[in-house]
Amino acid sequence: MIRRGTAMDGKRVLRLSNGLQMRIGNLRAGAGFAVAAVLLAAISTGLGLTNTGFFDLLSALSGDPLSGAEGYALWTVRLPRILLGFMVGWAVALSGALLQSIARNPLADPGLFGFSQGSMTMIMLLLIVAPAAPKSLVVLAAVAGGLCVAGLLLWLVGGERSSGLSIVLMGIAIETVLSSFGSLLILYLPTETSIALSEWLAGSLFQANWTMITAFIPLFVLSLAGILLVGPAMATFDLGTEMAMALGEPVARSRPVILVFAVVLSAAAVTAVGPLVFLGVLAPHIAGFISPAIARARLFLSGLVGGILVVAADAVTRSLAGGLPLPLGLSLTMIGVPLFIIALRLQALRKQQSR
Amino acid sequence: MRFLIACTVAAVLAVSPVLAAERTVTDDTGREVTVPEHPQRIVVMHEPLLGIPLMDLGLEVTGSYGRTEDGEFVIAVDFIDTVLGEGKPKPGGFGPVGQPDLEKLRALEPDLILATELDAGKVDQLATVAPVYLQNIGGTKVHGFDVQEDLAALVGQEEAFAARKAAYLERVAQLHASLPANTAGQTYLPIFLTDQLNVVGNSSGMVQALEDLGYTRLEVNNTDGTTAGGGSMMLMPLSTEAFGRLNPDVLVLLNNYMDEGRDEAGTRAKLGKIVPGWDRFMKPALEDRILFVDPAKVITPTVASAEHMLDAVENWSGKER
Repeated sequence: MIRRGTAMDGKRVLRLSNGLQMRIGNLRAGAGFAVAAVLLAAISTGLGLTNTGFFDLLSALSGDPLSGAEGYALWTVRLPRILLGFMVGWAVALSGALLQSIARNPLADPGLFGFSQGSMTMIMLLLIVAPAAPKSLVVLAAVAGGLCVAGLLLWLVGGERSSGLSIVLMGIAIETVLSSFGSLLILYLPTETSIALSEWLAGSLFQANWTMITAFIPLFVLSLAGILLVGPAMATFDLGTEMAMALGEPVARSRPVILVFAVVLSAAAVTAVGPLVFLGVLAPHIAGFISPAIARARLFLSGLVGGILVVAADAVTRSLAGGLPLPLGLSLTMIGVPLFIIALRLQALRKQQSR
Repeated sequence: MRFLIACTVAAVLAVSPVLAAERTVTDDTGREVTVPEHPQRIVVMHEPLLGIPLMDLGLEVTGSYGRTEDGEFVIAVDFIDTVLGEGKPKPGGFGPVGQPDLEKLRALEPDLILATELDAGKVDQLATVAPVYLQNIGGTKVHGFDVQEDLAALVGQEEAFAARKAAYLERVAQLHASLPANTAGQTYLPIFLTDQLNVVGNSSGMVQALEDLGYTRLEVNNTDGTTAGGGSMMLMPLSTEAFGRLNPDVLVLLNNYMDEGRDEAGTRAKLGKIVPGWDRFMKPALEDRILFVDPAKVITPTVASAEHMLDAVENWSGKER
């Protein structure tokens, strides 16, 4: 049983029989983002050397055979990049949105807390010791690195009454130390090893394949379940630690769980494509500008925007002619930052007008 | 029945020459890979270290990572021109450095992809196009032109390599006999100038030639604790203080590829910026025991680079006399 109604802030909502309510604006935004993601993916299937695309894909799905080059371009190169790119963007954006609520800081993301650096440092050390290390070991190294940083962060900031600001400041300190260590490794490693690591650090979807997607899908599904479970707690964390505790949120238990959730999402993304700097900040802000939301809706919308941004960045990277190198991280910045600036500027103008 | 099976197998082999001309080898990282007996369309992931050695043996390289689609090389120096001479056909590219394009790679129709052990992370994707063989290029794992010898064995060019090596060794013997001083027990140290000083590793034609002439590498104990690492043509960075105290019998100086002046004047000027006044206090400089070499000619692990080094030593020893 679904009923329409109006929330206390005057926004129109849909109310389910179990008491759950969803803002109609958020639902529309979510549907819009989903349609945008599908359209972008359809366009992206047509980008590349081989002259094929979305309509050939539809024909293939309906049973028409593709030529060798067309099949290779669509099934081996383009579709894995699009699907993995979306899931990775989703994971990083979701991780950023979770951390921003915990820290009550709009700048928080896996990079700022040092989680990405922890994963990267561990992967770099592994690749130096064993350049041919299997992928499963790289994933474990990334998760272990991120968890080590999260554990250190929790231990350093102390108990449940520690403020969001102290978490951010301690995260910045750890991130700075790890970044310096990473720079030292790049500087003093043999040239070819440094180049190989730098290529990976720039971010790339080159490694995208169906094996990796199969490995990432359980995490993606888990993240959906995670949103449903921890989403309501995010609304209380947004009000501050003390208020969350006053509202009955078991902060001492839920905060470490949410941190580990954010670390796993971030580490998986770093392993798949390398660090995607600033995406964890960009996506929740752009989503929040288009459709302000809290709790589960905010997490869902942030994840969708993160996925869209990475698919768009990959499309730009692949469509550039002339052999100009454009790493994924750079094209993501080129697309995301102007959107971010426009969103912030429009928000500022709105506030001025409301006065 | 047996006769029928034998006939079927024979028929399959007869109509599938590719199947008959393949073999399974173990690459330098321990992977088993099935490669053509005589590959015709080879793509390389590192042109100076893997492509030039094959081209020096007369093979054509179809594609090279780091070249543009029209064959231009990504860095200032084109090693095909400097090592093998101008006018040679250039391989096609398949995406800029950092972004190999699998669709472009497949369009080159390679039957073998040669990569270094540092490309291990890319193997799964590259192998969707053609078999991938990973070759060690590390300074501590390979020496002189070992890489070229290994690749020659892989692609069935042992005889071509043996012929190149025999001619080279003959020249080494002639030059050794004509050198004014006995090189036995004399030391050499190759230094590559970037924005810092780097001791050059062991995998190059230059090192092969110097050691075949009887020189021995000067052991360097770096005072800043930096140790020699594997996996690079550049063995390790060297502090300017440690460099100033060194006294090899022959100091070999090589200026960066990116610099216009890779001759003596350019190299002297570059070193002067890193170690000001070096030519007024370093013994090899004061006693004129410095060999200026163009790295773009001598740094690849090939017989051709070793021959360029012999040319350089010959000119230098001629001047000495």
